[in-house]
Amino acid sequence: MLLVQRLRDRDEGAMTIFYDKYAAALYGVILRIVKKEETAEDVLQEAMVKIWHSFASYDAGKGRLFTWVMNVSRNLAIDKIRSKQYRVGSRTQPLEDSSAAMRLAADTTFRPEHIGLQEMTRQLNPDQRQIVDLLYFGGFTQSEVAEELNLPLGTVKTRARAAIKVLSKLVR
Amino acid sequence: MMDMQHYIESGILEEYALGVLSADERAEVERVAQQEPAVARELVAITNALDSYAAAHAVVPSSAMRERVLQAWEDSLRETGPTVAPAAPVMAAQSPTPRMAVAPAEPVTATAVAADNNGGAVVRQMPAAASAGRTRWLVAASIALLLISGLGNYLLYNRLRQTESSLELAQAEQSRYAATQQAALNERDQQLAILRNQAFQSVELKGTPKAPEALARVYYNATTKAVYVDVRNLPELPEGKQYQLWALDNGQPVDAGMLDMATATGDSIQQMKNIASAQAFAVTVEDIGGKPAPTMSTLTVIGNI
Repeated sequence: MLLVQRLRDRDEGAMTIFYDKYAAALYGVILRIVKKEETAEDVLQEAMVKIWHSFASYDAGKGRLFTWVMNVSRNLAIDKIRSKQYRVGSRTQPLEDSSAAMRLAADTTFRPEHIGLQEMTRQLNPDQRQIVDLLYFGGFTQSEVAEELNLPLGTVKTRARAAIKVLSKLVR
Repeated sequence: MMDMQHYIESGILEEYALGVLSADERAEVERVAQQEPAVARELVAITNALDSYAAAHAVVPSSAMRERVLQAWEDSLRETGPTVAPAAPVMAAQSPTPRMAVAPAEPVTATAVAADNNGGAVVRQMPAAASAGRTRWLVAASIALLLISGLGNYLLYNRLRQTESSLELAQAEQSRYAATQQAALNERDQQLAILRNQAFQSVELKGTPKAPEALARVYYNATTKAVYVDVRNLPELPEGKQYQLWALDNGQPVDAGMLDMATATGDSIQQMKNIASAQAFAVTVEDIGGKPAPTMSTLTVIGNI
């Protein structure tokens, strides 16, 4: 892949191409995690810098560039909200907050042009969606989710697997 | 097999894709995926599903934000890039020491003598000599960095010039191509208009026994007297020869013009001389530029209106 090669060669011009290709997807997910546009922009900036400097650690054999940059960005965003919540304290508080905020965000910031999202969420039942969102946007492990939602770990795993199955069927 | 199914259902692949595993656990998943195609397939499916879910949330940032983010990234490059920046403050801190200007060239013995004459200065003199050595090194290093940076700039500038000139070339090439395409398109449009015009009669010119495969068509407008010729297939011409179109009016041949190369090969339709009146058209092979009267032995195609 040409872009990967150029980034590996430290070609600065490639970063503009990278931005145009991936920024919308990265920003969308970051915004979904941190909620505030201003914070999301900061995180996107950090992500760009991090992707540039740690590009050598991207192994194309282990997955697509999209997956890797999305994980870098997502982790930065999750670190961001965790560090803030850290100062606030409580472990239970943030999850309730964030899932409430997520439910709110899903209703109010929904954009009709995002057919893809609409299509996907329509196929997931609310339980599945809650779990996928907590795992993917909240950065929780399955056992953390189980603990927080007071569900058996097996149920969380089953739901997560079912949800991901639904999503991958849509992709195919 | 059963074992792998159990492994897949354990949820570890989802956690891998979600990025919540430790480095050791990740390495273990990668190892298993490398050995077990079923696990690898499952992992790809999970990753793709999550990628699509992520992509579905895409929000296009404003163009102002695009500028800011790219600028910030560039600024970060300059910050972490060259080591020149930290060297400069050190230089500045050293320079105010007045001895520095003279001290560097003095041998150590001279310093010692000066110290004897000057009693209390001994203690201060020695570090000055040491710092002079460092200063010299710093000056040399700065000059080296400056030279390197100058060379870098020069190389970058050259590359920029090359890029600019190849961009110019590409743009010129592109606009030339666009112009030719536009011209060709206009011509086709005109040709199409002729073919669609009811006033034009189509005259089929068939090959003579000399060239039975030959075929051409003339479009004749009796009102405007316009004549167009459209070659389907004419034999290749000998060196120095050209096809000439004739109109036959009451048995008399009238010169209707020479066929261009592109016309003769069938690449385009050509407008010929206006013809006042005709009952038939024919094409002969003549010397380049044509003849006032046709060479009947070279008659290639002919047809009646």
